[in-house]
Amino acid sequence: MANLAISGLRKNYGTVEVIHGLDLTIEDGEFISLIGESGCGKSTLLRMIAGLEDISAGTISVNDRVINDVEPKNRDMAMVFQNYALYPHLTVAENMGFSLKLRNVEKAQIKTAVGEVAEMLNLTPYLDRLPRALSGGQRQRVAMGRAIVRRPQVFLFDEPLSNLDAKLRVQMRVEIRALQRRLGTTSIYVTHDQMEAMTMSDRIVILNKGRIEQVGSPLELYDRPANLFVATFIGSPAMNIFQAIVERGEGGTHLRIGSARFRLPPQFDIGKDATVTVGIRPEHFEVSEPAGAAGEDKLDFRLELIEPTGAETHLYGAAAGQMVTVAVRDRLSFRTPAQLSLSARPEHIHLFREKDGTRLGTL
Amino acid sequence: MSPRSLKSIGGKVGTGFAITVLLIWSLGPIYWSVVTSLTSPTDLISSTPRFWPSHVTFEHYARLFGSTSLSQGNEVQSVWPQFSAALINSLITSAVATLLTVGIAAFSAYAFVRMRFPGRDLLFVLVVATLAIPAYTVMIPLYRLMISLKLVDTYLGVSLIYVSAFLPLALWLMRSVYQAMPLSLEEAAWLDGASKLYTLVRIVMPLAAPGLIAAAIITFLNAWGQFLIPLVFSPTLATKPLTVLIPEFVGRNYVDYGLINAAGIVAIIPPVLVVLLLNRFLVSGLMAGATK
Repeated sequence: MANLAISGLRKNYGTVEVIHGLDLTIEDGEFISLIGESGCGKSTLLRMIAGLEDISAGTISVNDRVINDVEPKNRDMAMVFQNYALYPHLTVAENMGFSLKLRNVEKAQIKTAVGEVAEMLNLTPYLDRLPRALSGGQRQRVAMGRAIVRRPQVFLFDEPLSNLDAKLRVQMRVEIRALQRRLGTTSIYVTHDQMEAMTMSDRIVILNKGRIEQVGSPLELYDRPANLFVATFIGSPAMNIFQAIVERGEGGTHLRIGSARFRLPPQFDIGKDATVTVGIRPEHFEVSEPAGAAGEDKLDFRLELIEPTGAETHLYGAAAGQMVTVAVRDRLSFRTPAQLSLSARPEHIHLFREKDGTRLGTL
Repeated sequence: MSPRSLKSIGGKVGTGFAITVLLIWSLGPIYWSVVTSLTSPTDLISSTPRFWPSHVTFEHYARLFGSTSLSQGNEVQSVWPQFSAALINSLITSAVATLLTVGIAAFSAYAFVRMRFPGRDLLFVLVVATLAIPAYTVMIPLYRLMISLKLVDTYLGVSLIYVSAFLPLALWLMRSVYQAMPLSLEEAAWLDGASKLYTLVRIVMPLAAPGLIAAAIITFLNAWGQFLIPLVFSPTLATKPLTVLIPEFVGRNYVDYGLINAAGIVAIIPPVLVVLLLNRFLVSGLMAGATK
């Protein structure tokens, strides 16, 4: 049982700073994902928590005890590595029991503990095999088992599923989440796959260039992205971004995006003739045809390509002078190219300050 | 015939030729030595060279192993006492040098790869650079040093010189072996609660075994074949190895080709056995299954 507090955490490699003062609190039993593009510092942060990287400044505490200078072996954290890092010369059972053996746990007890976890992970038939005789998915399970057997305070996962094929990845995703719920162990999960982060986490930390962009529950990030980075990072296909001009005239203030005009509610205090950045998710567009019925709040859309994915249909084309992606549930049978209209409900139109991308709200 | 099949035949002929030349180059001297050791002294000085003796004789081996034997019609003392002492000396100095060299290299190479300390890479380069120093240049100062330490003509002294001579190569080899190993395995062990030393001995070294074996083979063969160092530092049969003893069969008036070659043939048996034995452990694929 452990809560984690990270405060003012920094990491330099020589003169290059890669983590710029992170603050984060992780509650006991929470499943938290660190997500971001490669090089954003997510793995470095995880390795600092594990004790595999030195801390340049700031503190990491577990249960209010600072662990900056505690050796990895004394942190009571278990890590599942991206490449599994199984001991190739030890059997599955020996791999899983390694940490218990180091703590001088009795042989019989190790056997029972390993047996229980192997049962949990369907590894019982493979206990006497060497890792080389296992499939990728089985090796992944052994790596998980090795972490679970010792009942650590914290699980650390470093992109553990990225080497599995798509189907297995989905299956393991569910299994890891179910196991974590059952064990109630605080878990930190690094991934670059937003589907993994969205489906597994209690909360997600979005990192960008060594800074936290936003921390929140998956749906919070999706519904109320704190800034443009989060807005375009979460969601697939990615959110469409437009530059809109604020027009003030008779009948109130409006926002103009290409051919469309949207009423701007009075709570937005934006200067006249200023521009704001508008984001609309592909799945929040409604498609209508043809352009003849164009109203004030409809965007002309020239459809160029239709991509059926089965569950959804993705439409690609141009609107307001840029590439736009639309995702719909219906199976549309337009001929391409076609001239269509797009509309979106006000609560799905996100506004961001143009200067720094900070969220302003929805219309 | 198509040009293509001509080309492939040409390639095969070329490969066969190269292999033949290589075999003659490496096995030819050994074959010549075997034949000489089985030829009677009178045939040895005949003017027509032969590829196989007209009468096979074991008299040279008898002089090597027997208690007394006939040489040029006279009964003489066998050389077995000297020969066996030198054989044991060769075995001891080579084995001690190999164990020390591989043992030191196994730990210190790891430090050069995984530990951070100031001047690490410079120190490594300096150690490896000693490979470029010819043994002759240090022989005299080394001799004075060994005399003052009373280490001349002792197993320890000779072995230590071997270690200092062969360690850089073994160190270099082990460093690249460790560098090629995934760090995540060691990190996994540390997080599992293992100390650095435990991780090195129980996780890293078993996986680096092929490298350790290769280092052992190279060191043993190098030590076994040493001539100059024992010539200077092993003046008596207390530590004199075969490489120094065998040329002494050349007398003032008579070169005993048969005996020299018989002894030479016996002298290559131990290294061949060592290589055959160690080679069985020189398997690849130990790392299979560790990752992905």
